[in-house]
Amino acid sequence: MKALILAAGGGNNMAPFSVSRPKPMLHIAGRPILDYTLEMLRESGFTDVNIVRGPFGDSIHKHYGTGAKTGLNINYIHQKKAEGIGHAVLLAKKSFNPGDHFLLIYSDIVTDDNILSNVLQTFHFSHLPTAGIVLPEETGSFGNVYLDRDMRITKIVEKPKRKDLGNYVLAGAFVLPYSFFDLLRKAGGDMMRAFAALIKKEGMKASIWEQGWIDIGYPWDILTANRVIMDTWKYSMVHRDINVKDAKIKGPVHIEEGVEIRSGAIIEGPSFIGRGSYIGNNVLVRKYSSIGPESIVGFGVELKNCVIFGKASVGRLSYIGDSVIGMNVGIGSGTMTINQNIDKSEIAVRFNGRKVKTGMDKLGAFIGDGTVLGGGHSIRAGSVIGAGLTVPHHHTYPPKGR
Amino acid sequence: MCGISGIISSADVSGKLVESLRNLEYRGYDSCGIALLNGAGATVRKNIGYVADVAEKELFTDVKGRVGIAHTRWATHGKVTSGNAHPHLCCGGKTAVVHNGIITNYRKLKSDLIRKKHSFKSETDSEVVAHLIEENLKGGGSLEAAFIKALRMLEGSFAVAMISPGEPEKIFCGRNESPLILGLGENENYIGSDFNAFVEYTRNAVVLEDGEYAVVSREGYEIRRIGDLEPIERDILRIEWDVETARKGGYPHYMLKEIHEQPSTIGQVLEIPEEHIREMAEKMLSARNLFLMGVGTTYYSAMMGQYYFSSIAGIPAYALSSDEAPESASIGRNDLVLAVSQSGETYDTLRALKTAVKNGARTAAIVNVIGSSMARMAESVIMQGSGPEICVVSTKAATSQMLTLMRLALEVGALNGAIKPARKKALIEKLNGLPSVISDFLNEYSGFARSLAQRHAGHDSWLYLGRGVYYPVALESALKVKEVAYQHAEGMPAGFLKHGTIALIDDKIRSMVFFPPQAEKELFKTTVSAVEEIKARGGKVVAFHSSKSLANSGLLDDQLLLPKAHPFIAPIVSIVAAQLYAYFTATALGRNVDKPRALAKSVTVA
Repeated sequence: MKALILAAGGGNNMAPFSVSRPKPMLHIAGRPILDYTLEMLRESGFTDVNIVRGPFGDSIHKHYGTGAKTGLNINYIHQKKAEGIGHAVLLAKKSFNPGDHFLLIYSDIVTDDNILSNVLQTFHFSHLPTAGIVLPEETGSFGNVYLDRDMRITKIVEKPKRKDLGNYVLAGAFVLPYSFFDLLRKAGGDMMRAFAALIKKEGMKASIWEQGWIDIGYPWDILTANRVIMDTWKYSMVHRDINVKDAKIKGPVHIEEGVEIRSGAIIEGPSFIGRGSYIGNNVLVRKYSSIGPESIVGFGVELKNCVIFGKASVGRLSYIGDSVIGMNVGIGSGTMTINQNIDKSEIAVRFNGRKVKTGMDKLGAFIGDGTVLGGGHSIRAGSVIGAGLTVPHHHTYPPKGR
Repeated sequence: MCGISGIISSADVSGKLVESLRNLEYRGYDSCGIALLNGAGATVRKNIGYVADVAEKELFTDVKGRVGIAHTRWATHGKVTSGNAHPHLCCGGKTAVVHNGIITNYRKLKSDLIRKKHSFKSETDSEVVAHLIEENLKGGGSLEAAFIKALRMLEGSFAVAMISPGEPEKIFCGRNESPLILGLGENENYIGSDFNAFVEYTRNAVVLEDGEYAVVSREGYEIRRIGDLEPIERDILRIEWDVETARKGGYPHYMLKEIHEQPSTIGQVLEIPEEHIREMAEKMLSARNLFLMGVGTTYYSAMMGQYYFSSIAGIPAYALSSDEAPESASIGRNDLVLAVSQSGETYDTLRALKTAVKNGARTAAIVNVIGSSMARMAESVIMQGSGPEICVVSTKAATSQMLTLMRLALEVGALNGAIKPARKKALIEKLNGLPSVISDFLNEYSGFARSLAQRHAGHDSWLYLGRGVYYPVALESALKVKEVAYQHAEGMPAGFLKHGTIALIDDKIRSMVFFPPQAEKELFKTTVSAVEEIKARGGKVVAFHSSKSLANSGLLDDQLLLPKAHPFIAPIVSIVAAQLYAYFTATALGRNVDKPRALAKSVTVA
């Protein structure tokens, strides 16, 4: 069986991070999301993988090439404009053979174990087209499925408006027959209509996934996914060539080549420190911190539950908590991310002029690639700071007007 | 549902067939049997009971043969007798047949065969296949031709396998609407109702489709269409999952599978013929005292029955916990004891039933397993027909017992004039709508039940409270979380709370409260006041209810807002909601859902 990964989605709600990279190249726990997808495929015995990439997809191609390092043969299909999932699937038709089944997986889902092996088991056992399903916290933005007693899907309701539903939803992993391409074409590229036709024609079996599952739709989902992946770590992995003096390291940590950790620093696992990074004196790295390669973390900084993509510098005596920091970001010393509302209420984030509830009562900031922030800032909970900005130092003296 | 298996090899297969039956036992286990070819005929051994017991009693492995078929049966209708167990032989004792499915035209086929001097040993539809093949052979021709001719005469659903000394190196099999799969080993091949039949021996399989038959030998197999004998080429399937996954039909646990089966198991209860219900209802009416008896979940089912008998039938029906029954109730002449038991083997209930018989009482039972001790012992029996329940924690069997008691209460009420025919009709309509109510509930509320469970899984001390019929609902729901999530949960009438237990209330102990629909004004109001008493003492309250105004009142700390349902069936919706809640609490806590510690499916000891 061949696989098809949909990696062309721009991620409308992923600002400020979608401007410069496709979603599957977002880093969690030190690796691009796509790494985890490819690893599941290899584990499940796949050799041939087709990736539909979008306008920003160059970086995927550059990173993975023909797949030699992943042990897979990767073929790329270019979706030039953002024309939707259905269109992306149709573009891939010629890479598959009539009569075959293929595995379809969305590249923006993260799971804590191999969901593909679950879906494949159900497929092999039932011999029916199969869809992985999950019970998420909130179902409004997904395809809600209805099941019969044999776990066959009887209908799918996409993004229900009518009322609140607590249904199982499509998890973004399927085994589909080649004939699905024709159904999809007849449905004008509408995935939901094509699924409905498939249910009618061949039937469709659901495969329940009860373990961790995150759909990366908003920037804060990066933090959840980071946590879910790090929770699967059982061991520490520390490269032999690192330079550590009088620092405390506890719990599972992944520390790469050339990392320098100065005395007095405390690293609490699970945490990740990427190649060539520098962790200054008395730095406190708390649980679920992922510090990308070649980053500099200055004296006395506290990091907690945050993802720093890489090549960042965090100035002395700063606090970065529950935050995502892009590539090449400079944060001036004494910067404080405030990570909760004063009344401890749920934090909302402003997106394209609308407020989106996050379901979280602790959330820091999201800072886009290449932004340089002067020293001494306090950043309100749930702030989004765009990419490529330069924000001057925050002065308290002399006061304005003097 | 029945299970079929067959093996052809160069060595004795009897041991492997027994193993295969054990792996198919989950499909049903009221009786089983094997047939092996050795010498001039087929040797058949069969009887009623669990595979392990029958295999030992009937010395299955003492029969030797290199070709054999086997069958495990779960009768939903018809008697469980040794004679009705498969395999079935033809008159000459040569052709042995096993069958899964329902042959709809068997009566006609059977009378034709009887006219042609065939004598039948069982009451099954399946036996006709063996005689048909024997009859078809009379005109000469090959065994294969006789087999195909027989299959073409069958109407309905079937998966059939046949062996005969006429062709001692072959197994013949065919299917229509019942599953059948071939397994390919090394110099050894298999057939089975599903992969479990041979998954321990090979992982290579070929699926037979409707209207196809196969001739299986040691070296290979040939598949053709029954209709036009067109040969079929089919890819070999590599089985890449473990036995348990296959048995669970893809569900993560049996418990969830069985919870999701409830729309159809409830449907089964609704299909129990009305005459059957009336017969039992008449007996109940003529009794001096009526006792409903169970233990564990079945006691709570009986207690639900007590409330329905009181409100619908207007007669007292005392629910008894069977372990205490002989001591707590003086059961005597002209009393009727109705035992409720999934397995029909529960020690405590069986003992109480025996005491009742000794005291001259009349006996009845609601049982799931045909041929079980209680099914045989009670004077009248209603089979609930829920299919095998594998998870130790009872879900689908429990709701079916409750539904059976609700139907009985309606019938008794109609007979003694407590309810008018129009009201009975209206309530029966509500019952008939229950399968789709539950199906919609399972689909649309699973996520809410899971979220609620995840929010509260960390709290391990609970009071479960309800009034009226919601008292047994609370008891049963508390038992579910105790059994499967190991949370301490004490079920209690909400009105009873203030007579002592309320001293326990603080901010650590939580209360789970089951509300009736708001239409039941008095019950609703008094349940609200129980919640107020808890809140006044700083307690935290989580509720299962269907009232929008209660949801917005700010009285509750957390809740599962249920869909609106008629007061008659609403308790069942609450039960199913609590099953999901218990399941998701257990999975959140990483419990062994299907086999909780210290529990066994059927408690047959004192």
